[in-house]
Amino acid sequence: MQFAVDRASVNGRPGLRVRGELDIATVPRLAEGVAAELAARPRSLVIDLTDTVFMDSAGARELARAAKQSAAAGVALQVVCPRENKPVRLVIDLLELHRLVPVVEVAGLTGGEVGS
Amino acid sequence: MTSTPTGTPTGTPADPPPSPAPDPVRRRVDDEALARCAEEPIAVPGAVQPHGALLAVTEPGLEVVVASANAAQVLGTDPAGRTLADLLAPAELDRLRAALAADLSEADPLRVAPGGAELDLVLSRSGDLLVTEWEPVAGAEQAGAAWHRRLPTVLQRLSAPTSLEGLTGVLAREVRALTGFDRVMVYRFDAEWNGEVVAEDRRPDLEPFLGLHYPASDIPAQARALYATNWMRLIPDATYTPVPLEPPLVPDTGRPLDLSGAMLRSVSPVHLEYLANMGVTASMSVSLLDRGRLWGLIACHSYSGAHRPSYADRTAAEFLGRTASLLLHTTVEAGDRDAAVGVTRREADLVGAIGRSPRTPAAALVDGEVTVLDLLPAAGAAVRLDGRLHLLGRTPPAERVAEVVPAVLRAGGVTDALGRDVPGAADLAADASGVLAVEVGGARGDFLAWFRPETPREVTWGGDPRTSKVTAGRLSPRRSFARWTETVRGTSRPWHQHEVAAARALATHLGEAVLARAGEDDRLSAALQRTLLLEELPKVPGVALGARYRPSEADVVGGDWYDLVPLPSGRLAIVLGDVAGHGLSAAAVTAQLRHALRASLLRDEGPAAALTELNRLVGALLPGEMATAVVAQLDPATGELALANAGHLPAVHAGGGGARLVTDGRGPALGLLDDADYGQTALRLDAGDRLLLYSDGLVERRGRPLPEGIEAVREAVAAGAGTPQDVVDAVVATLDPPGTDDVTVVGLARV
Repeated sequence: MQFAVDRASVNGRPGLRVRGELDIATVPRLAEGVAAELAARPRSLVIDLTDTVFMDSAGARELARAAKQSAAAGVALQVVCPRENKPVRLVIDLLELHRLVPVVEVAGLTGGEVGS
Repeated sequence: MTSTPTGTPTGTPADPPPSPAPDPVRRRVDDEALARCAEEPIAVPGAVQPHGALLAVTEPGLEVVVASANAAQVLGTDPAGRTLADLLAPAELDRLRAALAADLSEADPLRVAPGGAELDLVLSRSGDLLVTEWEPVAGAEQAGAAWHRRLPTVLQRLSAPTSLEGLTGVLAREVRALTGFDRVMVYRFDAEWNGEVVAEDRRPDLEPFLGLHYPASDIPAQARALYATNWMRLIPDATYTPVPLEPPLVPDTGRPLDLSGAMLRSVSPVHLEYLANMGVTASMSVSLLDRGRLWGLIACHSYSGAHRPSYADRTAAEFLGRTASLLLHTTVEAGDRDAAVGVTRREADLVGAIGRSPRTPAAALVDGEVTVLDLLPAAGAAVRLDGRLHLLGRTPPAERVAEVVPAVLRAGGVTDALGRDVPGAADLAADASGVLAVEVGGARGDFLAWFRPETPREVTWGGDPRTSKVTAGRLSPRRSFARWTETVRGTSRPWHQHEVAAARALATHLGEAVLARAGEDDRLSAALQRTLLLEELPKVPGVALGARYRPSEADVVGGDWYDLVPLPSGRLAIVLGDVAGHGLSAAAVTAQLRHALRASLLRDEGPAAALTELNRLVGALLPGEMATAVVAQLDPATGELALANAGHLPAVHAGGGGARLVTDGRGPALGLLDDADYGQTALRLDAGDRLLLYSDGLVERRGRPLPEGIEAVREAVAAGAGTPQDVVDAVVATLDPPGTDDVTVVGLARV
């Protein structure tokens, strides 16, 4: 699967949908996406890993950074990763990322540009 | 070969081409014809064309020695036995003598009227004689003053184009506007003196000749030599009857008068026949010279009867030809220079990209904004660095690239006809008729290569060059000028000198970067070895240890580390950790964590306390970093083992005929939370039991879920036998991890 970070929204909440392999090579694109979203100072932000097929430690570190940046900016960050996505979910669980940022099951994001 | 006194592209009959099959008889006939040809006296035809009269006179007496038979008629008075002083008015004579005293080639034409009618008098020298040619002003076509007033504009237009196409296009257009010929072509010679029509301006109803090629034999060497010194030839009426010179031999020398520099020089009857076959009724040509060498011709044709531009217009056309000749070199050079500048700029971009990421030059060349394929015009490129082949664009398949590029390198590195230069590679012609290859670094087999596809070149000849006939030992002029196309296959666009130079410069730079990096790698690995790894496993009584560290095959340094720390209490701490990320920054973080954890462990407060302290340190001193680590602390005497895990993969405990994952004693990854209290789990390592710690490089594999990788480790440990080192080796062999990440495995047992 081609790696992509797409802007998406759910009920008007801005989000980023990460598809493909999130690793040291692709992680800068997530970082850029997060920075761009946070620059708009939303109240909340969702990172959807439902379609992320692989995540290495660099990817996880970027999620942690995103969580800390969001917290600093007063943005409520939420990570979506269903249990069925075992390869990614196990990494999240091993690192205990849920202690830093809410990790939820529901992939409720819909496509389309933010604000469209 | 017959002569070609005028310089039209199709100026003479074609040379018989080489026979397709050896034919000794025919060959001999051709040789004889050619020999006769070379002897044909094109400079001394003994006759002139009838549109003017020629008088050869002595200097300084100006006595008429030789005269064309039409002299009395053209001059309006019979010059036989007289001197020019008798023929010219005193004022005219004064101007003539002034011209003779100066450089003839710079003299303006003299307008004279010895018999009443106005004539242009043109002067040249032949041997000891002054050649005077008298051309009536009446009957000549005049471009008119309007054209001559435009001359500055025309010159500006000639000098404006930066391409050869532009220059020759302006030239053809302006010469036709000036001279009124039905067709004006710019004709360019190649290295073998074959010609091509590169620009044309013509009457709209005429068939275009643009792009047609003519064989070298159409304008033989003898004629080309003449064109290099005499800029202008004119045949106002291709059906003319030659006017003999009288006497045929110059009395003083006993030889015919050399007319090389004469404008009225009569041309070979064979050439006239040739023009007639083409339907040409009048023709003119102007030489184009590039730094003294004949480069091409401006060739002018009329198809509708006699046509004689005035002497002034012809002089202007010659002037345009001379001006264009001066511009040829700089225009060609400017075009080349533009291309060369572009190539050099992209070379600098690539060198810059390599400089910015010296550890990953292949990525800089292949993945960057400017890739190696952008360096120069090519359809495909190959980069082989550190034995890895990267392909870009349209190339032969990888295995053929690996074989054909070294062959091209052996053959000199540059080919625009691969099938011809490298045996067995003809089947690659479609993608790689052209290959430019350069070696990188030497001896490692690394290279850069560019590929150009076959460009089947259609060469359209102005008539089949093979159709000339040899009749009775004399070449007969070509009769057919129907287009005849041949296709040249298996070749690509040739590689320019500046392209080869840029490729070689890039390879040299790359070789230096690779060598520098190899040296840096060696130093770095040594430093890492000292900093992160143990020079040898410590000897701890009662404990057997095994370890394996395999660095990533990618040219980046990973963040794995392991450590074995004998503690004051007699216990042994075993550490295996992994800093997220790659590269030197990760290695630096790794070194700090290793030393900090050592210090914490030496307080002997247990693994959980050590990780709690380490986590605080990361939060405070290394914000944004993240690492995982597992710490086990063994009392060799009792087998009591405490284990704490900060986000790391679960350790495997083998014992009692099975193996289980140690999933207790876990806490978050280091750096995730600013403050976290880690717990630890207690277990017992009995004699014969083993504990195995490992990094994600062992289990992470694209396309295989992580849980399956962990389970594979557990199974491999369960199946393992022998010393801890045996088990570690067996696990690595079984898991066979891809080389994309560091692999670290540590095993221990009690003995």
